[in-house]
Amino acid sequence: MAEEVKEVKPKKRMTATRAAASIGPMVKEFITSTLQARAEGRQKLAYTFIVCHHEEILRAMDVIPIWTENFAGICGAKRDAERFLQRAESLGLSRSLCTYALCGIGFDQWREELGQMPPDAPWGGQARPDFMISSGQIICDPRSKWYQASQQFMPDVPIYNIDLPYPLFQRDQDHRDVWDYYHKYIVKQLRGLVAFLEEQTGKKMDYDRLRELVDLSDRTWNLIDETYKLRRAVPCPMGTGDAMNTMVPINFMMATEKAYDFFVDLKKELEEKIARGEGEVENERYRLMWGGGLPAWYALNDFNYFNSKGASFPVETTYRMVAPLNEMDIPETRDPIEHLAWRWLGYWTFWYDKAKKRPGSEPDVERLINWIEEYKIDGVVMHEAFSCRSWHVGLIWQLHQLAKIYKPIPIYVMGKDGKREKVYRELPSLILESDIIDITSYSEVDTRNKIDAFIETLESIRANRAA
Amino acid sequence: MGYVLGIDIGSAYSKGIALGDQGTVDSSVCPSGGDLKLTAERVKEELSFRNGISAHDIMRTVATGYGARSVIFADEVRSDVACHAKGVSSLLPTVKTVIDVGDLYTKVLRIDRNGGVHNFLLSGKCAGGSGRILQVIARVLRVKVEEIGEMSLKSKKRVDFNTGCAVFSESEAISRISEGVTKEDLLAGLHRALAAQINSLVERIGVEPDVAMVGGGARDLGLVKALEEIRGHAILVPAEPHLTAALGAAIIGREQLKKKIES
Repeated sequence: MAEEVKEVKPKKRMTATRAAASIGPMVKEFITSTLQARAEGRQKLAYTFIVCHHEEILRAMDVIPIWTENFAGICGAKRDAERFLQRAESLGLSRSLCTYALCGIGFDQWREELGQMPPDAPWGGQARPDFMISSGQIICDPRSKWYQASQQFMPDVPIYNIDLPYPLFQRDQDHRDVWDYYHKYIVKQLRGLVAFLEEQTGKKMDYDRLRELVDLSDRTWNLIDETYKLRRAVPCPMGTGDAMNTMVPINFMMATEKAYDFFVDLKKELEEKIARGEGEVENERYRLMWGGGLPAWYALNDFNYFNSKGASFPVETTYRMVAPLNEMDIPETRDPIEHLAWRWLGYWTFWYDKAKKRPGSEPDVERLINWIEEYKIDGVVMHEAFSCRSWHVGLIWQLHQLAKIYKPIPIYVMGKDGKREKVYRELPSLILESDIIDITSYSEVDTRNKIDAFIETLESIRANRAA
Repeated sequence: MGYVLGIDIGSAYSKGIALGDQGTVDSSVCPSGGDLKLTAERVKEELSFRNGISAHDIMRTVATGYGARSVIFADEVRSDVACHAKGVSSLLPTVKTVIDVGDLYTKVLRIDRNGGVHNFLLSGKCAGGSGRILQVIARVLRVKVEEIGEMSLKSKKRVDFNTGCAVFSESEAISRISEGVTKEDLLAGLHRALAAQINSLVERIGVEPDVAMVGGGARDLGLVKALEEIRGHAILVPAEPHLTAALGAAIIGREQLKKKIES
């Protein structure tokens, strides 16, 4: 069976903001609160996934979500995932599957075998759920298969699966022509979830409360958008390293006053830093975009390494799972379930219209281009995590398209006639390779050599840039 | 101005260049081995001893490569991407795209006439796309790695490799040998498979002519020809392609020194 040896703890990453530094205790608190709720037995606990637009429903029904991806990420960040991954492998699951799922399945099997938490479980461990809510979501198959695998060890725990599709981008078609069908389907899925929760909890949904929570979430969405846009400032007051902390209230605490208050505080902190001219790094030389890929949770210190070279990350596509509601072209409705479904569709189709206007563009590429301009970006960094297909498939293609259709850097070259001429080049990019939590895929020396080479490339471009 | 050393500590071989006022004075190559600090010292000592260079004469040392940080006497560490670019632009000024086939990685660089890097791309963490596979197969075939290029060009019927993975390629090579396939045909197949992987990397970053190949892999004529065949154009190879990063490091060192003296 699995080796029970813990890995060496990483150095703590330095954060640029007080708000980001406060996240660790916050996560620990909600992990502890699920364990306490399990012990008290007063509230139902549900395993579930982020970015499903269903938190409001869960919270309105007093169901406590256990974010299984979050727990796997914690194991990774604490460099304590390997023993759970090995346990899953010993059950016959391949390491090339989603390592979040492997870690969770390995943990569940161990907990169920012992009838108690595995020894030294990170932050007390992951509580046993009363039910599991999975979600089929385009190509992320672990979202529907993970809990089925875990159910082998918890056959008494039911699963409810919600399916949340959205119309795919088609250049020659307006997504609004078909989205009513999608909306009807998603509403049905969410109403089905409500019925399932009513059955499991023995309570009826309070729709007034649900409406209040949806309104709270909407206000939080807009506040997050306003807060993150402050990072356009030069120097940038907060980078992606911190955003990998502040993703916690966005993805795990939505529909809570605590999440809203967190962003009120963060917005204030960023405004103060901007007023003082204080950046994430002392002498900002390069502004980079984290253009895709989940981070290597055990190697967040790499962001500090970038910072040490004068590189700041004002924007990232990862975990910014909100868009300004007032810019979404979605119908008004008083029904909170219908609104959740529209918001889902509005988020995933947000860049469609803009992408259609630019030849060769696609929504994900269009988002990169817009943010490169808005945040004055000098280069793009992506992370290819080998075990996650759904978030990482297409990243290289996005870079390829970006280089093909968008060349913002003016330089002088010697023309054929021997005269100097101005041409435009693409932004430089860097692809890091490892995994979300499988540390065996990571080499610090190798990663930092790549970062060094990238920084030298940025410097070379700076030196050659035409006025 | 004295001498400037450029030292490239690679994962398989370490290379050194001594640069004097009139250009390259000497070069040194040795296996990197397990003690990179000692290897770096050996490279320096060899260059110094052979050319009568005293410690006092060495004005600056720039280190590069995978083990650059092991060169504890270096004044500066620079990435091999920057050093290859500088080295190639000094030897082949028309080159805009550089393919470096090293032991650990294959890299593709887009550069300018001054040796500035505009973008670069590295192969994935897989020996199947780097020069390491050439050494693996040379060992299987019991031939010297320096010989495989010429041997491959004598192929009459190239073998098609079914895999791009170094480990599986080794197994596949062994089973093909047992089927009676000649070494020449096997090597031609290997070169084709490796060239195809390198080409997909080249395509990803985009090509601007002229194109050059450097690194230890560029000494393998069979690989160069295979890539030329796939791409349909000539690929330039400097006389000592494995030394371009060390040369670039030395040139960077000399430029820095010149700047310092002028200021």
